[in-house]
Amino acid sequence: MANIVQSTDLTKRRRGLSRRLPTRGPSNIILGIIAIVWLVPTVSLLVISLRPEADFGVSGWWKALLAPSSLTFSNYRVLFDQGFVAGGLLDSLMTSIEITVPATLLVVLFACFAGHSLVFGRWRGRDVVFLIVVGLMVVPVQVALIPVVQFYHELGNLFGLNPYGTIPGVIIFHVAFGLPFGIFLMRNFMSGIPKDLLEAARMEGAGEWKVFYRIVLPLALPALASLAIFQFIWVWNDLLVALVFLGGNAHTPLTVFLYDQNHELQANYWIISTGAIVSVIVPLIVFFSFQRYFVRGVLAGAVK
Amino acid sequence: MASVVLRNLTKQYSGNNAPSLDMLNLEIADGEFVCLVGPSGCGKTTALRMIAGLEDVTSGEIEIGGRIVNDLPSRDRDIALVFQSYALYPHLTVADNMSFGLKLRKVPKAEIEQAVQSAAKILDLVDLLKRKPAQLSGGQRQRVALGRALVRDPAVFLMDEPLSNLDAKLRVQTRAEIAQLHHRLQATMLYVTHDQVEAMTMADRIAVINLGVLEQYGTPRDLYNFPNNQFVAGFIGSPSMNFVSMRINRDVERVHLTGMSADSNIKVTLTDEQSDILRKSDGSDIVVGVRPEHLIEGSIDHAGFSAVAKVEVIEFLGNDEHIHATSDETDLVAILNAHSSVARGDSITLSAPLDTVHFFDPTSGLRLS
Ligand SMILES: Nc1ncnc2c1ncn2[C@@H]1O[C@H](COP(=O)(O)OP(=O)(O)OP(=O)(O)O)[C@@H](O)[C@H]1O
Ligand SMILES: [Mg+2]
Repeated sequence: MANIVQSTDLTKRRRGLSRRLPTRGPSNIILGIIAIVWLVPTVSLLVISLRPEADFGVSGWWKALLAPSSLTFSNYRVLFDQGFVAGGLLDSLMTSIEITVPATLLVVLFACFAGHSLVFGRWRGRDVVFLIVVGLMVVPVQVALIPVVQFYHELGNLFGLNPYGTIPGVIIFHVAFGLPFGIFLMRNFMSGIPKDLLEAARMEGAGEWKVFYRIVLPLALPALASLAIFQFIWVWNDLLVALVFLGGNAHTPLTVFLYDQNHELQANYWIISTGAIVSVIVPLIVFFSFQRYFVRGVLAGAVK
Repeated sequence: MASVVLRNLTKQYSGNNAPSLDMLNLEIADGEFVCLVGPSGCGKTTALRMIAGLEDVTSGEIEIGGRIVNDLPSRDRDIALVFQSYALYPHLTVADNMSFGLKLRKVPKAEIEQAVQSAAKILDLVDLLKRKPAQLSGGQRQRVALGRALVRDPAVFLMDEPLSNLDAKLRVQTRAEIAQLHHRLQATMLYVTHDQVEAMTMADRIAVINLGVLEQYGTPRDLYNFPNNQFVAGFIGSPSMNFVSMRINRDVERVHLTGMSADSNIKVTLTDEQSDILRKSDGSDIVVGVRPEHLIEGSIDHAGFSAVAKVEVIEFLGNDEHIHATSDETDLVAILNAHSSVARGDSITLSAPLDTVHFFDPTSGLRLS
């Protein structure tokens, strides 16, 4: 019996090898082509942002590649020289950061706490709570916009604190909508951590808090990093929530800034391209700095 | 160091019909090495986890070092548990795994360093201190798990089948290391295993548990020579004891035992004293137990067990061979010298001296003396 299993295993492996080896070259070429095609819009945006404004309507952006000396940072200089005036590029960049960083940190923090409690807590009804959280994941954002605006106004009527039109108002909404998925992700990842590890730590003298940040948190880092990146990019790219909840606020995030440029009779393509490149840089930094936490097999060697 | 006393310790998981542990009473002296053995699912881990404080006690008392610890959280019980699964922290190095508990207790750095170094030396881990658990072999992980317990210098060591994941050779080696460790530390150790050989070789005393009930508690020698009942007799010793149901024949001058069939090939002759006891007793049957290592080929003069049996299987083990034979449709196992000329299909006589023969009550399974 064991022999049979082994031999089929072997043939499978051999077949897999012979099939994979010759296809590796072509598949790499295809992947390379896809990657290049994928990059074209971004590169064009970059080039446009580096061309003098006057050139835009005259010739296609690829022409600039033939004459690299014509490229200039003047678009960036003009926008940065405006400084932090409300409605300017730098002010929008700051506003985007002001919204995205807290909205990401809060979701990651709460999701970690909730995941720990849902998996390792010793209270009844954990599964029911988790099911409710999963259910909340399917609520679309659009459905909640108006009720939440009304709710914000009610808060203003009752306590004199109306988050509508403020940056905290936007943050609260993003946190509330990021949490179900965050909790779902962290809970599922944490349930893969062997309970023995926590019991060992408890026996060695760790309280629940120490167990959380010395054992569970380091082991949940890969999930935490993915969640942070997801949430960051989702909030960073959000236009709808910011448009609805910022009302007439003079400080707007980059998405609203870019949208406004497009809305006037004639679009300011030099501002749009320059602003878009600026808005891409921050998520890239976030992605690459969290990427090193995506390690497979964090739990290897723990048990057995 | 401390003694451990369990009084009527009981665990009933909600939803289970029978308690997983039923009224366990056990006294472990300071510095003693006690093994908890029993078949799978008999409640060994449950007992250990209750002592460790990882599981609530349904009823009964746990006393460690003269202090009742039922309501004490595990971190205040001054015990270390070596998990069956090792439970090493995968994100920490070997050194950090071992020093984890000491750091939590804010032990001075120099002291931690020294404790880790000396434990590493004892367990031969010095060269591995900077590695992560994933980079270790099973045996090395096992030693790290032991080391983690060792550095804390606890009052009581609890170990849950620490060798079950090792291969046979490494198991024998680590077994010796643990025994040596106990000798050196003179620490109180409670060691769970389902392997009776481990228990016999390491323990000062063995507690045999079956279905949540303590069957017998005593030295390996006691358990081997004077098993309380048929379960213990069958569990201790390898291969297990042969059991034969026999009829008490009172019709003759001196009572003797014969096999159940009319023309039986199995016979046990008794001493005068035993004969008198049996004559006065009632009941027609009795269970006779003989260990394979006590059976010899051929007949002997003294009164005792003898059976004419047909050899079915011979397992050659080097110095000895295990003979599986049947007599009256009862299987008998005997360990014979490999030089014996027994062959498959032979009809041989297997005998054992009377002082090595055990008698058990057929209904209660209790040992009759
Ligand atoms: N958390 C639990 N909930 C319900 N029943 C349990 C639980 N843990 C163990 N049991 C039951 O209690 C009994 C004893 O289990 P235990 O783990 O103590 O066995 P064991 O002697 O350690 O066995 P093994 O040698 O297989 O490790 C088993 O019947 C098991 O099904
Ligand atoms: Mg067990």
